[in-house]
Amino acid sequence: MKIIYTDSVLKKFLTHYFIPQPKNNHRATVLKPNCLLFLLVLYLLSQSIIKSFTIAKPGILGYSSEITAQKVLDQTNIERIKLGLEPLVYSSVLSESAKEKADDMFINNYWAHNSPQGKTPWTFFDAVGYKYSTAGENLAKDFYNTDSLVKAWMNSPTHKENIINTKYKEIGIAVVNGTLGDIKTTLVVQHFGTPLMATAQEIISQKTDDIVVPTTQTNVLSESDEKLISPLTLSKIFSSVIFIVLMIVLFIDGFITVKNNIYRLTGSTVGHIGFLFFIFLLMIFNQQGSIF
Amino acid sequence: MIIPKEIKQKPVEYVLLSLIFIIGFFLYIFTNNSQSRIWIVSGVTFFYFGWSLYHHYKRGDLHTSIIIEYLLIILFGLVFLLFDPFAIF
Repeated sequence: MKIIYTDSVLKKFLTHYFIPQPKNNHRATVLKPNCLLFLLVLYLLSQSIIKSFTIAKPGILGYSSEITAQKVLDQTNIERIKLGLEPLVYSSVLSESAKEKADDMFINNYWAHNSPQGKTPWTFFDAVGYKYSTAGENLAKDFYNTDSLVKAWMNSPTHKENIINTKYKEIGIAVVNGTLGDIKTTLVVQHFGTPLMATAQEIISQKTDDIVVPTTQTNVLSESDEKLISPLTLSKIFSSVIFIVLMIVLFIDGFITVKNNIYRLTGSTVGHIGFLFFIFLLMIFNQQGSIF
Repeated sequence: MIIPKEIKQKPVEYVLLSLIFIIGFFLYIFTNNSQSRIWIVSGVTFFYFGWSLYHHYKRGDLHTSIIIEYLLIILFGLVFLLFDPFAIF
């Protein structure tokens, strides 16, 4: 008897909140203004909690990136080969300057080509003794995978110009985990260059296929290599769940009222579905991370 | 296939609304400039709100409760988008 009672209560609860019926004035309660406000507050609260955890306990919600220097090198060269350009040759010296740059951003807590202390990208090239005739730098942070990272660079004219620049012969890459602005993140630095004294023959003689690039370098601020839940993923999942539930309720609401030919003093369900679907698509297609 | 009566009665209004969403979506994904993206989302949102006022005015049921409902749905969508960690704004 108790189970039947519980089922009945649960059924009543679910139908009241999710199914339009005479008891809720033919409108799913979830779609009523007070419930929409509640969902909004719940969402904002969850985002605040996730962000607070990220700042206060970086070990609980961390950043897990699939990016490696090797993947960045491969993807960059794939983009060049697609355009019929020579692939870039991996340079361990340029990678050292890229790592120096990433470390400097973590230590001095900035996100820019020029540091607050006045260091330019060329400072790092000089520091590792890389003499160049031409050089360039691409930066990125907060990306999960290499595909989206390189895609974002290729969609930006200035970053694309570096990637497909025929003047560059060598590349160095650093993928460094650390804490920037109290948030765990992964920085990716690409340093491009052409050695001042190098002849084309010397560069071509190096086979890119056999080069193994060091994988993700870990900044001292990362406590462990343990795979952590990304706060960004968690936030995205939570948003998607609330959004999908709302869309499903709107569909059910629309279907039942149309089928039963019910007139209600409410907004257009079709319009709401269209608008929220538009927003949902934008959320899906939003690019990850940021580039500089 | 069930087509809502409101669409059958005002097909032009719904076709126009759909076109704005589709155009807005493609403009957004092919734009990398964050300022332009804000303008695109704002434009589509204002259009949707304007469309809702016109739609209900013509239907003769433009009440405060309906305006509040539209404002909340718009706020709901915008909050999700603006707080989306991947949004380029």
